[in-house]
Formats: sequence, C-alpha cells, structure tokens
Amino acid sequence: MVAATFFIFPMTSFLPSPSTIAALVKIGLLVGGLMTAAAYLVLVERWMAAWVQDRKGPNRVGIPLTKIKLFGLGQPLADGLKIILKEDFTPKHVDKVLYTAAPLVILAASLAIFAAIPFGSVMPPLKIAGLPDPVPFLVAPGLDVGVLWVFALSSIAVYGVLLGGWASNNKYGFLGGLRSSAQLVAYEIPLGLGLLGVVLAAGSLKLDVIMNAQAKSGTWYAFAQPLGFVVFLVASFAEAARLPFDLPEAEQELVGGYHTEYSGIKLLLFLVAEFLHMVTAAFLIVIMFLGGWHLWGVTGSSQEVTLLGAVLRFAVLSAKIFAVILFFMLVRWSWPRFRFDQLMNLAWKVMLPLGLANLVTVAAVEEFRSHLPGWVAIAIPWAVFFVGWIVSGLLTPSGTDNTPIRTRGPLDVERELSHDYAGAR
Amino acid sequence: MDAILPVLLFVLIAAAVSVGLLVFAELIGPRRVTAVKEMPYESGMDPAHDTKRRFDVRFHLVAITFLVFDVELLFLYPWAVASRSPAGIEAAVTDGLVSGRGLVFAGAMAFTALVVVGFAYDWRKGVFRWR
Repeated sequence: MVAATFFIFPMTSFLPSPSTIAALVKIGLLVGGLMTAAAYLVLVERWMAAWVQDRKGPNRVGIPLTKIKLFGLGQPLADGLKIILKEDFTPKHVDKVLYTAAPLVILAASLAIFAAIPFGSVMPPLKIAGLPDPVPFLVAPGLDVGVLWVFALSSIAVYGVLLGGWASNNKYGFLGGLRSSAQLVAYEIPLGLGLLGVVLAAGSLKLDVIMNAQAKSGTWYAFAQPLGFVVFLVASFAEAARLPFDLPEAEQELVGGYHTEYSGIKLLLFLVAEFLHMVTAAFLIVIMFLGGWHLWGVTGSSQEVTLLGAVLRFAVLSAKIFAVILFFMLVRWSWPRFRFDQLMNLAWKVMLPLGLANLVTVAAVEEFRSHLPGWVAIAIPWAVFFVGWIVSGLLTPSGTDNTPIRTRGPLDVERELSHDYAGAR
Repeated sequence: MDAILPVLLFVLIAAAVSVGLLVFAELIGPRRVTAVKEMPYESGMDPAHDTKRRFDVRFHLVAITFLVFDVELLFLYPWAVASRSPAGIEAAVTDGLVSGRGLVFAGAMAFTALVVVGFAYDWRKGVFRWR
C-alpha cells in the first residue's frame, strides 16, 4: 500500500499542497486498514462459524518456526501468502480481457467507494503540518455528492459480477452472473428509497453532514424512520450478497456462481471485494441510521473537538461498525437461503412499496414538522412501520411462504402456458 | 478541482493496488497447463453445448423495470436535498422563484403518486411475478 502511495506521489508533486498530502495519508491508511480488516474479519467470521457450530475454529497458526499459537492470529497471513503463491490460471475458453478486467473492476470500485465515506468525526487542527483547519476523517470532504458517489460505485459491482459471469464462458458462471445482476439491480431500488428518506431529513448528500445532523438532534434516523431503516438493512444485506441473499453463490445449485472459473489471486480479489461490500454496508448502516460517531452522553455533539474527543468518536464509530458486522455474521449462520422467486417477490412486492411508504411518510413529517408536537413526529413513522409490516405480511404471503410450489395444488399446465412472459391474461 | 482531486487519487490508488496484486501473483506463481485444466468446469462432466445461448426474458424485464424506477427515484434526489437546506427551496421562495413551499411539496408528492401508479400497473400486469 505504501509503495502505491509513493508511486502516485511524483505525479501530483506539481501541487504539493498540505491538503493533498493529508488526502494521500488518509487514502493510505484506509486502503491498508481495509485490506487488513478484510483479512482479519474472515478470521472473525470463521471463529463465529466455529462457535455457532460448536467446534474449534482456526486456532493453530501463530508465529512461524515457533510453537506460539496466538489463537490463530497468523491464519489470515498464511492464507493470503498461500493464495498469492498459487498459480494464476486463465482457462482457454474464457474471454481473456473481460475475464481479467472483472476482478479488477470490482475490487477497485469497492475500495474507491471509501473516498466519500467518513471514518470518524474531525481531528482538531494540527499545528505542525501547516493545516490550520480541523482535519476531517474523510478523504474527499469537499465532495457534495457523497451518497451518490457511494451509490454509483456500488452499482459498478454489478459490472464486475456480470463481466465475470459472462467472460467465464461457463454455464454455472453465466447463470450465477445473471441471477446476481438481477438481484443486485432489484435491491438497488429499495436501497435508494431508504437512502432518500435520510437525505430528505438531513438535507444533504454528504455523509458527514448526515452524521452531524443526527448528533445535533440526538435522534438517530433508525428511531425517526424505522421503516426506512428496515428497508435499507434488508436491501444492503442483498447488495452485499450475504446469506439469506447469497443466491449468486448458491453452491448447491451453481457451484461458485459467477466466480466458478476463477482461481488464485483473481478469486482472492473477488472475495476481498465481496467482504468490502459487507464492510461498506456496515459503514452506511451505522452512518445513516445508527448515529455514526454519536453516542448520548459520551461523545458530545458539537463541531469543536479535542484530540481525546476525536479518538473517542473514532472508537465509538468503529465499535458500532464492528457490532453491525458481527450481526451480519450471526445472520449468516442462523438463516436459510431464500429461493429465487421469494427473493424477487421480496424486492418488488414488499420492499419497494414499503420504501415508497417510508418516503411519503418522511416527506410529510419533515414538511409539517414545525406544526407537529415532537412526539407525533416520532409516532407517525412508527405507526406506518407497524401498519406496513402487517399489511405487507397479509398481502404478499408468497414472499415468505416456504411451501414447495408443487404442493400448493395441481399444476395447471394449460393455464401456466397460456400466460405470456409479461403475465398478461 | 480541490474537491475532486482526492477522489481521483483514491481511484488511481485503488486501481493500482488491484493491478499490482494481480501482476505480483502473476510473476511469482507457478505455471503448469494441462488439457483437463483448460476445460470449463461442469461438475466433472464433459461440457455439452455452447454457453452463450438464449436465456430467460424475465431477466430483461427486471432490467427494464429497474431502469424505469431507478431513474424516477433519481429525479427525487434534488428535491430531497433542496427541501431542507437553507440555500434550497427556502431561498427560492424568498427570491420569488416559487410561490410557496407547499407547491413544491405537492409537486413532489404528485410525482411520487405517478411512480405508484406505474408500480401498480406493473404489478397488475404481472411484471413482478417470478414463476
């Protein structure tokens, strides 16, 4: 990571402003931190799996050539080293350019998302570095389109998946890529709807402004917009392709899905990118709905911050993100996978209407907030949340119905065939 | 430029890290090519047929529906940002560009209602039915 930073540096040396150097330092920290975090989160996930399944997880690999085991903390290093030393094999039947491009696109995009994602509050002014202003924990603090950048780059993940599936020239890969892109595309709409409510309430697309707005009011958006929170949570599980939404890699049906034909370092790039998607999702959930760095009575809420306060806010944010990631992992080991028609039903027939209901509710509450007593502004979204929950459960039972289709009554082949694909009668 | 420079740097570095990892592994990894390895993986069977065949039109329907709804939602972002920020609708009302806040709100809600009508039509037509 450090080498990459030095490689870029000469190109920008014609404007050696301190803010550029600060940005480079932040980028270096983020890229290094994210890669390390991804490696160690894999270890955490394996520990979690072992704990849920009542067995011992990876606990052997420690310092090489000694007997020190260190609870298996050497495991990610050993795994990484092994996979880098593996043959980087490109089969003959693939489209070579696209096959190589797919993992690069998906990893670069999932890293570059973090240009707009804050990882703390602000540092107090550093007098030594020639930076008179407080330094924000954000690579691109001037970027007005923060949320849109995040949204756009997470859509590029779809390209990585589609390219990988298509270029592999393998039936499993092709079907996995198709399914995966349909899933990612379908859940992007509820994701956007959940996002829209937060943008509406905060009045900005900048994620740091969204955090500050929650800290200032003391009400996290998860409490002010419960329906939006649930819709966004479910959609971000689907976007990160985590169980119960990991149909792209349903191994019983599709072997490895879109990365069936990948091995060695290219597979590693796919897997790291996939893990980074989960980390990104956790960041977004915490920043937009769980108050970011804010914790009542601990972090304060003002823009002025001491060094200790900045560290404390960073710690609170990291702890929240880690908790959400642990939640992602617990869900993985406690939920079965959806069927594909259930997945599509949930996206279009449950999440989209709920997201629209949330949008209208939030818009109305924000518009008439000055005329409403405080408790009503909280009560209305919660009422809509429960009504939406019950109504969607009653109207679309097929979204959660696990009965195999063939036991729901005799299959009327004539009737099924008389529908065209749009389902017109 | 000041706002966008760190973003460009980040994209460059992210691309460099990805390419660097790939090139590094390419250089130090072994290379042993065999005929069986070159075959597409089909659970041990000899591959039958070509992969690039016709696929289900439902995926196409999903793509079109996505495009419609996603673009419609994108139209709502400017309103969402402007409705609360001081330089947004408030300023427009003060400058006399818009006759009142309520009109903007009504417009946004009317737009959302149109989206809901389109959604109900699609549902009725069975676009969302995945059989």
